[in-house]
Amino acid sequence: MGVEVRILYFGAAQEAAGKSEELLTADNTTTLRTAILEKYPALAGIPFRMALNRNLLKGDSLLAENDIIAILPPFQGG
Amino acid sequence: MKNRYLTAGPITPLLISELMTLGNDDAGAGAVSVFIGKVRDDETDSGRVKAIEYSAYEEMVSGEAEEIVRIVRAAFSDVRSVIIVHSVGIVRSGEASLFIMITSGHRDHGTRACRHTLEMVKEKLPVWKKEIY
Repeated sequence: MGVEVRILYFGAAQEAAGKSEELLTADNTTTLRTAILEKYPALAGIPFRMALNRNLLKGDSLLAENDIIAILPPFQGG
Repeated sequence: MKNRYLTAGPITPLLISELMTLGNDDAGAGAVSVFIGKVRDDETDSGRVKAIEYSAYEEMVSGEAEEIVRIVRAAFSDVRSVIIVHSVGIVRSGEASLFIMITSGHRDHGTRACRHTLEMVKEKLPVWKKEIY
């Protein structure tokens, strides 16, 4: 079940995942988060947020085909 | 770069001087408030910082920066323009990585808006850094 979505990894999450992007299948953002944490245990140490199609997620959301999910560690600009 | 809020490499004195001319056609702007953030050569357990490599979620930066500008303009009615430029890529210690400029009619809203913009850039802009020793 689920749909295929594109995952983008940034900052420390990119190092923890060992890649900058990939395709994964999930039906909502909560199950996706769990799947990503299981796949990359090193991400557990990073308090990351997620963006869905460039907008910060504030709660759970259903996923649609071709959605873009970004894994965002705490911002460090400035 | 995909948007006007990011520049590749350091924010050079030349770029700063170009950015500072942006408000020149607005004779009603009596105050120009500028913040420039630079890379420090901090001494850490891993050694002295020689540079920082910045990365960004470029496609998200535009929307977030535009939201910052919208909030600042709503909060400070005397503000006439808001310029934000952040580096991506390698910036050596001593070089600038962030430029914020506010033009306003008078000093009060300008200086406060500049500080407010800086805090929101740190909070909202999807930018990350990696120290190089």
